[in-house]
Amino acid sequence: MSSPIQITTIVWIALPFLVGFLIYLWPKLDRWLALGMTLVSVGYSLLLFTNPSPINLKLLDNFGVTLVVDPLSGFFILTNALVTAAVILYCWQPSKSAFFYAQAIILHGSVNAAFVCSDFISLYVALEVISIAAFLLIAYPRTDRSIWIGLRYLFTSNVAMLFYLVGAILVYQTHHSFSFAGLRGAPPEAFALIFLGLLVKGGVFVSGLWLPITHAESMSPVSALMSGMVVKAGIYPLVRCALVLEEFDPMIRILGVSTALLGVFYAVFEKDVKRMLAFHTISQLGFVLAAPEVGGFYALTHGLVKSSLFLIAGNLPSRNLKELQHQPIATDLWIALVIASFSISGFPLLSGFGAKVLTMKNLVPWQVIGMNLAAFGTAVSFAKLIFLPHHTPEKPPERGFSFWAAIGLLLGGLVVANVVYYEAYTLENIIKPLATIGLGWVAYFLIFKRSVLYLPRLLEQFEHLIGVMSVMLILLFWMVLA
Amino acid sequence: MLEASVFATILCGFFGIVLKKNLVMKIIAMDVMSTGVIAYYVLVASRDGLFTPIVSDANHDSYADPVPQAVILTAIVIGLSIQALMLVGVMKLSRNNPTLESSEIEKNNAL
Repeated sequence: MSSPIQITTIVWIALPFLVGFLIYLWPKLDRWLALGMTLVSVGYSLLLFTNPSPINLKLLDNFGVTLVVDPLSGFFILTNALVTAAVILYCWQPSKSAFFYAQAIILHGSVNAAFVCSDFISLYVALEVISIAAFLLIAYPRTDRSIWIGLRYLFTSNVAMLFYLVGAILVYQTHHSFSFAGLRGAPPEAFALIFLGLLVKGGVFVSGLWLPITHAESMSPVSALMSGMVVKAGIYPLVRCALVLEEFDPMIRILGVSTALLGVFYAVFEKDVKRMLAFHTISQLGFVLAAPEVGGFYALTHGLVKSSLFLIAGNLPSRNLKELQHQPIATDLWIALVIASFSISGFPLLSGFGAKVLTMKNLVPWQVIGMNLAAFGTAVSFAKLIFLPHHTPEKPPERGFSFWAAIGLLLGGLVVANVVYYEAYTLENIIKPLATIGLGWVAYFLIFKRSVLYLPRLLEQFEHLIGVMSVMLILLFWMVLA
Repeated sequence: MLEASVFATILCGFFGIVLKKNLVMKIIAMDVMSTGVIAYYVLVASRDGLFTPIVSDANHDSYADPVPQAVILTAIVIGLSIQALMLVGVMKLSRNNPTLESSEIEKNNAL
């Protein structure tokens, strides 16, 4: 009845939760168990790439859980596995408590679950488990500030998920099924409510403004997890919906372009390293949504590069860019920073280049200007990191094996991922990103290096985050009707 | 009529979250909102009938739809655990922010 690969899928979904509990029971093995689990996920995602036909699973009749696994989910699962592995390596020495590793692996498992489900209720459960695990990780230091950041996150996402639930029942009412395909023919309110939930969860457009504070104020490894994979759990269903239902494709593309521009606009003016990276996450998610067919590869490269950047940022002497310009950083750290910044700006030899070329190829004509502008903004804002002063200190600071293992894994992944789209390397394709980067650097030196403009943070306040949801709901509703 | 009341409950909860200053009140407002959502699931389930679909000798022709009820049971459990978690967080925060006003907490923990 069920083939071996279907059984493998089910075992693989259940395994992280089992491993999570096992870590509590056997705290001495915490890191090894967690790392082993991520290796299993890497293996599983590679298996998916060799298995071209999608795996469909229907558990318990028509009303039950439906799962779809194909190479698109393979990309997301691989991202998830690599980012988690890097974070666990990063936290190897000095080690955290077993609680941290258990939560990280449960988070990994729930994000995996979100990447395979294809009905609204299993997705709901996966997203809520993500919220809880992410809250516990954010609040891990137990300071007032971290608890408040976590509470904000939990509150925003829970309110969004309540809207989502109302949307889900409206879909059920029309088709007597919760599957993604049921969105076709469902009333426009259902669509608006479900998308509101996913947009907030995925940090897209103005409803994603909870993201900068959450990502910037958490500990570095947690920021890497959040930016590298947790937001993608909200993005993946959007991409999936755009692929299943062609009529929503233009809408997702519009949201993609506006998100890319909004994020990059804030990032260009930002003076704080971690906040700039967080705004960049918003912008890069826009790139994933702008061309849903190839979103998987972009998500992979973004996950790798953004988590390595957050891990490096955690080791910088200061978070303020103005201070960093007078305070040279160690050369080894600078080299890692430059490699990652080059990849995200789309420089050849790193897979950020291939991903950007592939995305640009799959745009529809009206998107091109917007996305090129966003790519230009990316080059401008990362010039801030590339041109930081550096030196070789006499007594090199102690950065242990675990830091370099994590960064090596992520940056190595960026180089190896080039094989996915090696056709990108043509003369014409290479010249364009180089020109964009060059222009970006010129603009940085002429204008943005001296800019003292501080954008207001009014919209990031807690009350406004909730209020913006209602505005977004009306906007979505209007978009569906139009 | 019932549907209108359910939506009114959801909206009341939502406005409560936006307008109430106190963090505990916000959590209660969120609970009101989720009660509204749960009621809506029950309402949808009872569109075709009110009888619980249990195998028995008595024969009814109009049964309630068990699927939304089963689904919302999951959501109730998740909602409960999230609220418990939030209240623990609020307890911790209340030690240094006795008024628990969200704007005050935000100011105290700003950059």
